[in-house]
Amino acid sequence: MKLEELKDLADYAIGQARTAGASYAEARIHGASGNESLLKNGEPEPAVLVESFGIGVRVLAKGALGFSATNSLDRRSVKQLTIGTVKMAKSAGVLLKKPLAFDASKPVKKKWRAEEKQKIEGGDVKWLGSLLREIDGRLTSEEVGVKLPGRFLTAEASLEEKYYVNSDGARVESRVPRVHFFGILTALENGETAQRMIQQGESGGLEVVERLDLVKRVEREAKTLGEVLRKATKPPEGTIDVVLSPELSGIAAHESVGHPQEADRILGREGAQAGESYLKRDSLGLKIGSTEANVSDDPNLPNSNGFSPVDDEGVEGKKRRLIQDGYIREFLQNRSTAAELEVTSNGASRSVAFNREPIIRMSNTFVEPGEYTLEELLKEVKLGVYFASFTEWNIDDKRLNQRYVGLEAYLVEGGELKGLVKAPVLEITTPKLWGSVKARSRKMEFEAATCGKGDPMQGIPVWTGGPDTLLSGIKLGSR
Amino acid sequence: MIGLVGALNELAVSTAKRLGVDDAVALTSQGNERMVRFANNSLTVTKNTKETELYVYLGKDRRRIVAATSNPDESSVRTFIKKLFDSLQSLPKGPDYASLPEKARHYKPREEGYDRKIEAVGTELSELAGEAIESARKNGGERSAGAVVASVTTSSILTSSGTSGRDRGASITLNIRSFSQNDASGHGLSCASKLSGFDPAEAGKRAGENAKKMVDAKEPEAGDYEVLMSPTVASNLVDLIGGFSSAFSVDAGISYLVDKLGKKVASESFSLSDHGRMNGALDGRVFDDEGIPTRTTPIIREGVLENYLHNLTTAKKSGKVSTGNAGTISPHPWNLEVGKGDSSYDEMVKSMKRGVILTSNWYTRFKNYRTGEFSTVPRDGAYLVEDGRITQGLKGLRVSDSLERIFSSTRLISKNREWIEWWEVDTPTLCPWVLVDGVKITRAYE
Repeated sequence: MKLEELKDLADYAIGQARTAGASYAEARIHGASGNESLLKNGEPEPAVLVESFGIGVRVLAKGALGFSATNSLDRRSVKQLTIGTVKMAKSAGVLLKKPLAFDASKPVKKKWRAEEKQKIEGGDVKWLGSLLREIDGRLTSEEVGVKLPGRFLTAEASLEEKYYVNSDGARVESRVPRVHFFGILTALENGETAQRMIQQGESGGLEVVERLDLVKRVEREAKTLGEVLRKATKPPEGTIDVVLSPELSGIAAHESVGHPQEADRILGREGAQAGESYLKRDSLGLKIGSTEANVSDDPNLPNSNGFSPVDDEGVEGKKRRLIQDGYIREFLQNRSTAAELEVTSNGASRSVAFNREPIIRMSNTFVEPGEYTLEELLKEVKLGVYFASFTEWNIDDKRLNQRYVGLEAYLVEGGELKGLVKAPVLEITTPKLWGSVKARSRKMEFEAATCGKGDPMQGIPVWTGGPDTLLSGIKLGSR
Repeated sequence: MIGLVGALNELAVSTAKRLGVDDAVALTSQGNERMVRFANNSLTVTKNTKETELYVYLGKDRRRIVAATSNPDESSVRTFIKKLFDSLQSLPKGPDYASLPEKARHYKPREEGYDRKIEAVGTELSELAGEAIESARKNGGERSAGAVVASVTTSSILTSSGTSGRDRGASITLNIRSFSQNDASGHGLSCASKLSGFDPAEAGKRAGENAKKMVDAKEPEAGDYEVLMSPTVASNLVDLIGGFSSAFSVDAGISYLVDKLGKKVASESFSLSDHGRMNGALDGRVFDDEGIPTRTTPIIREGVLENYLHNLTTAKKSGKVSTGNAGTISPHPWNLEVGKGDSSYDEMVKSMKRGVILTSNWYTRFKNYRTGEFSTVPRDGAYLVEDGRITQGLKGLRVSDSLERIFSSTRLISKNREWIEWWEVDTPTLCPWVLVDGVKITRAYE
């Protein structure tokens, strides 16, 4: 089914909703298709083809918000569903304490697409399978130096296409191809195992594989697992310095800055599922970190996994300065939270599929780069640990108490990287973490992640990233 | 859109057979989910989704491919199957191929356990949500957030060897979280396959009471504690064990149950089964995604790992028979049941010297799936128990342990069990309270 053929249906849905009494209506024709190959211990699992196509309609009626979706793409079904949505929203008004409103964001009229050099359509299951077999060949070569009895690899080439209209005049058409790799490697040596989950992905065509240097990257990870099993020793105890790699800086930025600065959480909307926030509606301007703490979210980064220059409310996606010089500067907003907080939406509302409502999401969340090299940061450390990668992690639902367990991690002594240390644990509060930032490197790297939120759940593609980040005076534990 | 799901399956399978496949399965599901979400005691959004999805499996010459489409009009289905077949032929042959059974089976929908009243629930969802909010408020939850969801699904299958049938399911669930002063919170659930068993007021009461009791919560000292897990917390871990018991996970090395068949993996008091069909269950079907009849499979019996969950391919590879747990690719549990014990909640609390009661948790993540080492973050009602008495609300804590050690150190299991399905528990689980010795509790160092 082609997006072009269904544009009229979106306009039709809005007309029906308005006739039924909605003060505002939007419709999104949303398609996603993908090819995926899976390789388990060198043997092919069934290849996967997926195509999802449907319409999602959202209305405001008597101040109540209603959302509905269907993949029955004929006028009769859409009319029935749309009228039902307005009716259901109105009838639920008995539960409504305060009518919902949307801000006056400028409606965008735009056709946009992510950059794509080699067409994503070339990423069929044969091509993807060949890629995985090439990676697996490296993983089973002698050069890797460790046995990997568990090798589960997947590669996916997907395309997301949307046509969005709303009754305020927004009209947005988009095309985002993506390439995504996921793997779990299990290394075994002397009865001990070590495991690494690898996720890489970008928006773009098949050129993404080369850009990520995927084959060599996965091989490097496998070699490291062997080194960890053979050489890692107990990490130092007590109060020391910690240097976070871009991977660790990114996950910390995502979990303890991005999430608590989602305005819907702050206002309580996700309270029963993803939780609320340690921040309140009046927390803008609060000092939460050192002057070196600078964290942003930017939907406009070229090739990014969370590339979304216009959001799913038809609002331009702007770069969000979440923490600037240690102060809470900006929340992630959609049109209803912006109206409630008397600001303007910064275009952070996204949906993963036609059958999901748009909600506030991060795009690409990162620690801003500094002025130093990693070597210069390490020179500042008398005794510390450099976290290059992590495994287990989690955070409480107010985003105050987080934990990251190192996988590839090194002792730092006298300003130099020494040997590997085993499973150091950074279990720390958000103010302590960001208050301990002393310096940042110039290097910027990003990791792909799938961020979960919403009810029903929506796993959405994002990037997490940043430079190397030096934290001073940290109590470290071990597993 | 083709009107009848049976016709859709027929079209998919006949097209595939004409193309020359060895095996084909078409499985169509039609679902309707209605939801009312609320926060701060007020409506946030109503939702209504209606979907038809066609799932297809094709096999030929030891090559396999699966697909799903939500684009089920006649010409699209034909094009889709042709595309699938072309893709199938481009694949390398796999070592593990299990043909569909030659003998055709015919399934009828379950009559027992399906509540038609859930089909009709619509505008009443707001009233049910309101009932929960009011009950929470009366019991100390000043503001509540949550969702009440009514869902019905009809599934229809047809295979190239003539197996056919239809089944359906319905459930209604409520997840409510209440907040009191100082962000103290409590959690309540009501999960039922029949409207008559749905109790939003009780769920709201629990959420409100726990929120009230947590107002003066403090951070605990890190250390080893006896931990009494509510059905909500225990089912989060049990759901993970269900996933780890999938032969696919075992084969991929992403399960702590690798090489453990016939071995002790839990205390004798702990038994776990999967049920494809079960009265009162919130999910399940009479057939799996390969047209094999679902059944009851003991996973852990009195502490010993008795079975992995299989589809046709994993079963053939390991010399077993399918347990009727085929999913799209990997076998998965349908409904999990933890065997009941003989203790009451009060007896369990009284038996604790220095322990912690956990009523809800989230964000369970593993250091290593192969070893089962994980941590999870308790939230909502958490209480310190000293000499058999609750003495203090607790916050800011984390459980850091391993699945095998926890379930091998299970001391008591309650008589009473509850169905749990919510944001942190995907597989509906009938679960008791579980008391475990020596669980490692940590907290932020600073």
